[in-house]
Amino acid sequence: MASSSRTQVIALYRMLIKESSKFPSYNFRNYALRRIKDGFRENKHVDNPKSMDQLLTRARESLALIKRQVTVGQMYSSQRTIVEALGAR
Amino acid sequence: MASRVLAQCVRTLARSSARVSGGNLAVRAVAAPGSASHRSFSVISNAERSRVLEQSRVSIVSVWCRQYGDLPPLTLETIRDRVMYVLKLYDKVNPEKLQTTSHFMKDLGLDSLDQVEIIMAMEDEFGFEIPDADGEKLMSPADVVQYIADKKDVYE
Repeated sequence: MASSSRTQVIALYRMLIKESSKFPSYNFRNYALRRIKDGFRENKHVDNPKSMDQLLTRARESLALIKRQVTVGQMYSSQRTIVEALGAR
Repeated sequence: MASRVLAQCVRTLARSSARVSGGNLAVRAVAAPGSASHRSFSVISNAERSRVLEQSRVSIVSVWCRQYGDLPPLTLETIRDRVMYVLKLYDKVNPEKLQTTSHFMKDLGLDSLDQVEIIMAMEDEFGFEIPDADGEKLMSPADVVQYIADKKDVYE
């Protein structure tokens, strides 16, 4: 691996947050952001390389899933909820 | 009667143009007396009126300027204020302990994931991408301000 695992983790974190911010649906977007932050934080102290690899593969799969769901959501987006409308003001 | 109306028009035009332009002696002469022989007055007023109109037209043209749409220019002060404002809004940062020179990890007790979130907030605030390699080197508000000033060509 050219990049160390630390830079990989940071890069994955960034990409996951960037992609989840594109969800048109309020619920999906907030859940994804919250779950990403909590998930990365609770596994911060993992040292075992095998479990780190497992977690990184899971993160990459989630990234692919989020990208697909963002595209689908943008195709079939519904009205903005009242919470978003108030927050935008 | 027509010449009297004409003379009145010239007088109002002359007054307004005397205010706008430096004032032409001939124009003032037309404005001031208001009584002369009718025929000579009308001849003068025709010539003066065209000159007065040209003068006022020239002064209007010089006020036109091109207008482009753009954001107000950035200064180091405004960049610093915006960076500190964004940091104060971040809930893991204690606003009392925050200063321009405070290190994110050593002084404010944040970790690398928080630093990633902060850099992404700065990207949203200033509207341009910060690549990963540059982003992970920025460890204090002063670094962020310096980086943005470099990228946006803000000198002082």
